[in-house]
This record gives sequence, structure tokens and C-alpha cells, in this order.
Amino acid sequence: MTAGSVAAGRRGSWLPTWPLIGAKLLDLRKRRILMAVTAAFTVGLPVLFYGVRLIYNLADPAQYGPAGTPGAFATAGTLMDEFGLIVAVMLGATAGTPDLADGMFRHLVITGRSRLALYLARIPAGLSILLPLAAAGFTVACLVTGFLHSPLPAGAVTPSPGAMTGAGLWLELDLIVGFTVGAGLGSLMGQRTVPVILLIVLEIIITPALADHALPGFVNGERLVVGVAMDQLKPAALAGGITVGPGGGPRQLHLPPMPTWAVAAVIGAWIAGWTAIGAWKMINRDA
Amino acid sequence: MSLLGLPVPAERGRALTRVGAIVDEPRFHGHLTGRENLQILAAARGGDADRQIGPALDRTRLTQRAGDKVSAYSMGMRQRLGLAACLLADPQLLILDEPMNGLDPVGMHEMRDLLRDLTGEGRTVLLSSHLLDEVERSCDQVAIVDHGKVIRQGPISELTGGAGAAVEVQCSDPPAAARALGQAAAGSRIALTEDGLGLTVTLAAAPAREQIAKINRRLVDAGISVYSLRQTHARLEDWFLSVTSRLGDDQ
Repeated sequence: MTAGSVAAGRRGSWLPTWPLIGAKLLDLRKRRILMAVTAAFTVGLPVLFYGVRLIYNLADPAQYGPAGTPGAFATAGTLMDEFGLIVAVMLGATAGTPDLADGMFRHLVITGRSRLALYLARIPAGLSILLPLAAAGFTVACLVTGFLHSPLPAGAVTPSPGAMTGAGLWLELDLIVGFTVGAGLGSLMGQRTVPVILLIVLEIIITPALADHALPGFVNGERLVVGVAMDQLKPAALAGGITVGPGGGPRQLHLPPMPTWAVAAVIGAWIAGWTAIGAWKMINRDA
Repeated sequence: MSLLGLPVPAERGRALTRVGAIVDEPRFHGHLTGRENLQILAAARGGDADRQIGPALDRTRLTQRAGDKVSAYSMGMRQRLGLAACLLADPQLLILDEPMNGLDPVGMHEMRDLLRDLTGEGRTVLLSSHLLDEVERSCDQVAIVDHGKVIRQGPISELTGGAGAAVEVQCSDPPAAARALGQAAAGSRIALTEDGLGLTVTLAAAPAREQIAKINRRLVDAGISVYSLRQTHARLEDWFLSVTSRLGDDQ
């Protein structure tokens, strides 16, 4: 077998290579506005939130409590969740569409590289930007909560390191879901604006509505909405102590709590399903 | 159907290993530099394509601007970057769609030289263009595609040779010359030039030197002063129009 045929064989593989992932990472990280927005919403937001609390506390400790209360941790987590999800969807949709919009798709197809590998390379590339930034932002929240909590209000307990880790993992999972759904929808629609709007509507309007209100004839179909499933897993540390779902809380659903396996199945199906849809569209797109 | 001896689409991946192509206007990520765009394409190509980036930039004379964002490139520079992207594959076959688009005269000259160099290295360059003058200058062989079908193909000289050739005549009395030649030269077409100072004799076959001498003799015998006789070759465009149905066809 010649070197050329070995290279050709690798090109036909559906597995993305490290150079392919690195190339997509290069494309994404050089998008300065996108990177600035991602950093602002993942790291900047908790820094700003706790920075303001810290300044208030230092200026007037009698009126403003410590920066790192459990309540503040839950609020920071909610902010990071909501805005982080928007950024994740944006990043996913951006990872999924610019090859087409910028005219690079045709160049890439001509190389003979497996289109599935080209699509799958976007996922680790995008997540390698998103997840470390989100982890850095969340670390800020954990450090402030762990070290700048004194004196705590009566009855309040600082979340344990284990609870904080669980909350961080939940946040990261939420961002992975947002990214993969954004990438899949972006690939399907061939653009990024509409997918971002659709997923914001899903998260901000449709999910709370379905979680709070029973729809006649819907046969508990709300359970299939990823936001509802994610809420079931939400750790108590991010829910201000409210515990409902297997993860601890927070939303009081109108339907019985979902078992953990069902929650995992719904979340896994959303990630795998939208990845499959995005890849299918890429494979079948006219170059 | 086969490509470079390999059946496609069954062996598409292997066949494309040695194919470089620019289809339509070459477009790239505008926020990345020329070199970074090539890095992305080299990563998709795999193998040692990344080692071809420097030589490809050199060859297309983009090395000096390789660190600039593509959004600042002119159309001609993007064309050259497209060609550099093709060269990453060390291609046996290059398929170029309108590669002269957007190039200034110097750029067109350089592109022509580059294509000639590439064919000189034993590579095949398939150039698709509507600029028939450019095709005539750059290519050895042509294929005419009309309504999606190849209707003629072969070496340009053979194809245009079959379309006939012409002799331009400058003389003292063009109308009389047309009459004198018209009576004798069956099968040829004679027309006065627009300025009325000469005539064009179009012959069914390429004129041999003897045919030109024969025209001269006939005019002199008719008492017409001949100022010049100039043989002209049929151009590719003329031949194209003679064999396709495109003239006057809006489709």
C-alpha cells in the first residue's frame, strides 16, 4: 500500500483527525467577535456579578451581605446557564455554517475527506473553546462562594465542594446540549441567526410553558423537551435549595418527576439526534 | 465512469487524492489569512499536504501576502489562492473554472505561464471558460459542450483547420477583383471589406502557399494592382460559432 493510498484511506474515515479538529478550532478562535461574546458570557458575567457584589459589600457591609452567599451562587449559576446556553447555541450554529457561507465547503468536499468527519470535527473543536471558558467562569463563582462568604445569613450553608462540582458538571452538560443542538440546527438550516432565535425561544418560552402547564392530549410529551429533562437534573446548589428532580431541583413540574434513566435518555437523544441530523444534512448537501 | 484510472464514485476518495479543483469563484474564510485557509485545507487533505503550503504560496506568488486576511485580497489574489489550494494535492489533474476571472493583464500572463509550467510537469489541466481567446492561448485541446453534451473535441489546430481559412487582399479595384476571383474560385466565399478597400477570400480548406500565389496571378492577369495578400487563420471563436447553436440562442 502506498503513502498516497494510506492518506486516501484516512480521508475516507468518518473519524475526524487531530489536524482536522485543530483546523476547525483555528477557524473558530479567529472569529474575534464571537470569541469576545463567548468569553463575556461565560467568564465576564460571573466576574461582573461577583465584582459588583464585592464592591457593594466593601462599601457598605452593614447593608450589603458577603459576595459569596449560597443564594448568590444559585443566581450566578442561573445567569451562567441562561446566557451560557445562548452562547453555546451561537457557537454551535457558527461552527456548523460558515464553511457553507464562506464558500469553503466546496474546497473541503473536493479534498475527498469524509463529510461526516468534517462535521464531527466541529464538535470537539467548539467544545474545546466553550467548556474551558465556562469552567473558568464557574471557578470564579466557586472561589467567591468558598472564600468570601462570611458572615453567612442565619440558616444558610455554603455549598460543599462536591455540590459545586456537581453544579459545574451540570452547567457543562447544558452547554454541550446547546452546542450540539445549535450545530445540528445550523447545519440543517444553512445559517446561524434563525437557529439561535429558535433555540432561545425554546429555552425561554416553550420549555417553561411546557414544564408549568399540562397540555390536553399531550400525554406528558413535555418529558421529551430537553430543557425539562435538564431541569430534572439541576443540582440543588443551583436551585436555592429546592429539591424536586433526581438532581435536586428546581422546577416544580405539573407531572411526576422523571426517573434518571429517562432524563439521561432524553438528553442523550437530543445530543445524538441533532448531531445525526446535522451530519446527514452535511453529507447530502449539494457542493 | 472513471477518474485517473479509478472508478468513481466507488473509489472517489482515492481518485480525489490527486485532483485539485476550483469551481466557480474561489471563496475562502475572510477572517483568516491566506496561509491559515491553506492550513485548513491541508488538514482536510491529510498526508503531507501541509508541507506543500509554502511551495504552493511561492508558486502562486502569494508568499508576501500570505499573512494578510483573505478579506483584503483582490479577486485576482483569491484566484491565485484557489490555485495554491489545488497545488496542495500535488495534483495529476487540475480542474479550473474561469481561472482568469478578475486578473489584470499581468496576472493573466502569469497565470498562463503557471498553467504552462504545470502541464510541462506532466499534469493535466482542464480549464473551463467562456473566454475563447484565452482558451486558444492557454490550451492544446478543446472540447465544446453544447446543451450539456460534448459536441466536438480535439487539438485546437486540427479543429480550427477544418473550419477553413482566409486570405485578405488589398488591391486597386476590389469589386473587379471579387468578380475575377468569383468566376474562378469555386467553393470559396468572397466578400468586400467594410471600408471597401480590399476583400476577404475564405477558402474551404487551409490555403497552401500555392493557392495564395494563384489568387495573386489571377488578379494580375485581370489587370488589378495587388498591394498585399495576407493569410489569416480561423479563430477558435469563429469555429465555435460555426459548430454550435448558441448564436442567437438565448437558452
